[in-house]
Amino acid sequence: MKKSQSELNVFYETAHAELASALEMLAACKVTESPKQAFGYFMHAKDEYNHARSFFEMLSKRGKRASIEIARDFRFTPPSLITKGYISKKGFLIETMNLKDFIAFVYTNELLAKSSFENILILVGHSTHESRRISSIMADELRHHGMAKKFFLNHYPDLQPWQLMIYRTKETIHNKGRKIYDANLKFLDRLLTPLYRAIAYLAGTMAMKLNLNEFKRKGKNLMNISSSSIL
Amino acid sequence: MFIGVTGYNHESSAALVDENGVLVDFYREESLSRIKGDKSFPKRSIQKLLITNNLKKKDIERVAFYERPLSAFLHIAKEASLHMPRSLSLLTHQFRNFNRSSVSCYLDFLKFFRGLETKLIYSDHHLSHTLTALAYTNTKKDICSVVVDGFGDRSTASISQIVDPTEINELWECPYPISLGLFYSSITDYLGFAINEGEYKVMGLASFGDSKSNSARLVRGLMDWDSTSNEIISDMSYFDYHLSTSNSFSNKLEELLGPARNPFVRLVPGDSDFQRCADIARGAQDLTIYLLEKIFTHAHKITNSRRFLFSGGVSMNSASIDSLAQLSFVDEIIIPPSPGDAGCAIGAAFYCYIKSNYYSDFNISKPSLFPSRKEIRNDEFITEQIVSNEFSVLQRDEDDAFLKAAELIAEGEVIGTVLSSSETGPRALGNRSLLCDGKNKEAVENLNNVIKNRSPFRPTAPAMRYEIAQKYYRLRPEIYECYKSMSATCKCFEENVSLEFPTTHVDGTARVQIVENNSSLDKLLSILEPMGIEILANSSLNVSGDPTCFDLVDGLMVCSRTKLRYLLTDIGLLKRKK
Ligand SMILES: [Fe+2]
Ligand SMILES: [Fe+2]
Ligand SMILES: [Fe+2]
Repeated sequence: MKKSQSELNVFYETAHAELASALEMLAACKVTESPKQAFGYFMHAKDEYNHARSFFEMLSKRGKRASIEIARDFRFTPPSLITKGYISKKGFLIETMNLKDFIAFVYTNELLAKSSFENILILVGHSTHESRRISSIMADELRHHGMAKKFFLNHYPDLQPWQLMIYRTKETIHNKGRKIYDANLKFLDRLLTPLYRAIAYLAGTMAMKLNLNEFKRKGKNLMNISSSSIL
Repeated sequence: MFIGVTGYNHESSAALVDENGVLVDFYREESLSRIKGDKSFPKRSIQKLLITNNLKKKDIERVAFYERPLSAFLHIAKEASLHMPRSLSLLTHQFRNFNRSSVSCYLDFLKFFRGLETKLIYSDHHLSHTLTALAYTNTKKDICSVVVDGFGDRSTASISQIVDPTEINELWECPYPISLGLFYSSITDYLGFAINEGEYKVMGLASFGDSKSNSARLVRGLMDWDSTSNEIISDMSYFDYHLSTSNSFSNKLEELLGPARNPFVRLVPGDSDFQRCADIARGAQDLTIYLLEKIFTHAHKITNSRRFLFSGGVSMNSASIDSLAQLSFVDEIIIPPSPGDAGCAIGAAFYCYIKSNYYSDFNISKPSLFPSRKEIRNDEFITEQIVSNEFSVLQRDEDDAFLKAAELIAEGEVIGTVLSSSETGPRALGNRSLLCDGKNKEAVENLNNVIKNRSPFRPTAPAMRYEIAQKYYRLRPEIYECYKSMSATCKCFEENVSLEFPTTHVDGTARVQIVENNSSLDKLLSILEPMGIEILANSSLNVSGDPTCFDLVDGLMVCSRTKLRYLLTDIGLLKRKK
């Protein structure tokens, strides 16, 4: 039970991440002023959409075998891209970062993505149809990484490769930090859940006594209710 | 200028109405973020309204949010509090996410559009639905509004009498948690489809079911109309949507109907569980029609009206509209093209407009079916390399492109369109569509299965001119306007050839679209009709699970990701190279 759940989770989260990358690239494609870059982002987005589809298929294959209770937990709903943090509430990266940082981000993350797929390869077993698919996705990610690197060096020729290394190290630390932060948050959440529930219980006891008859509008002209009240 | 916005609890969107009462622009956040059902604060939509229409914040007189945030919050909390400790996780979720609920609308305006927060006012959820629908009528007086949805900010269904746009009196409501919309969503969920998206599938599936089956009867008994108190009644112990964040139905429903379906298993006609699921869907559909008829009958009784506006998520149940039109007291039913919550931004914007012109003359213009303004930026330039690398341009001139597209359709090809302004949504009416010859079985199958990967029990809509539709279908004049936005299904005439059309559903109905004059489809059909093609199969241009395409890049992307080969656009007719 636990095993199938954690396995589903890997595909579920990866599919989210890949779809989020696709949307990031699509957004970049729409924002850029350069037709050449637009084409690059477009093809990149297309790859990421395909990656996402592959992982959704792998998820679905396992979801079919899982019990209904578990399967229900791994249904994909697009807004969870935002609630799970794969796409920032503030906007797409291209909207919130400068171009240089954006490319550096892509450059680093493609490599990080590739390395995380190595773990999935172990899950699906070697020389299966799925492992071949994942290997080809990894090849895509390496290609994306290479393209981002080339772009970066072309546009910022003054930057030396070692500076890219710094970007990469920074982003790796960032990424690790994100994971640690996420883990801490989850831990904190577990710790605080009883407290939250206690507060919710208290608030619920108060809510129970609420009289919502005030909200009844029967017989009233709805156009005359105060427009400044949030009640 | 007046802005209306929706979001947080339901799909977000923003609408712009000018000082002459004209809806000048409208966007769904999902169109821009490409996240289907996006509920986040609609900052991209608002931004786009401002940029595309060249507006500064000072040009905006008022902004209205479509519901009363605290009211929505308190109703859910109060109901959940009555079921502690079972509902504790829902309550915890509610209180923990307080700052992410619509209560923070003011703060989000402050954060993203500083200055607009001072202009913020609040409409009422069902009033926003009503005003949206009202905009689409020709006479805006003496009409009755019926709103039925999942949950607004107070109630789940309501009836009001519209004397004129400044006097809208609410006469009846169905209080939360009893809800026809949430009932339908729970059954959708039970059948393994996604809430807010799979409802169409349940509706399509119902046509395969048998009303007399045991499963249908059991579902039919889950709710009823009490004719002494004129209330909807329901045994809430079968549902969990008011108690839980993750479950919409309870174990008791599974005890009644059997185990819920695994969402990952595709339901295909002929499967062992197919008939049971179809019967359950049939029961849900029968119950929906029955309760809607009761609500409309009551609405007529208390308002004496023979003309009705119908909106809210449940009004998207196009298979029930034909029955409503047959009620003896109905002269007219108007359903706005976007009757769900996303469309409420339009009503909210009109709310600002009416409020600002309360004592002077005002005039609400009937909005276009294609209200989203076209991009100002030069698509041709920015997509130059994408097009030259991946596509060939078959025809650049508009007339030649339409002619060539028509020829391809006649040859049995499927064509995607990204033309002019975008639809209000959720239905594509030709400008963001996938089209093929509606009588060519192979072409329709190709559209459904190869390109769209649609559920086998969801029919594709046929689009045609009124004169053509009259030959094949039993159209009802009471809902003529509904056919323009694909809001109602109709029956094929008995023993008519239309029963064999690939766009006709198993139960002999079709979700006909009557094409508007001077629209893209009208233009295409005027070329196709002399070629002998009078009906187009019309489906939205998107990959399943994605929002409908918004701009040219989205269209090119659908072509690249699917087997679709042709795209009719404002820059010409394109053909995918590989
Ligand atoms: Fe990827
Ligand atoms: Fe990548
Ligand atoms: Fe609603």
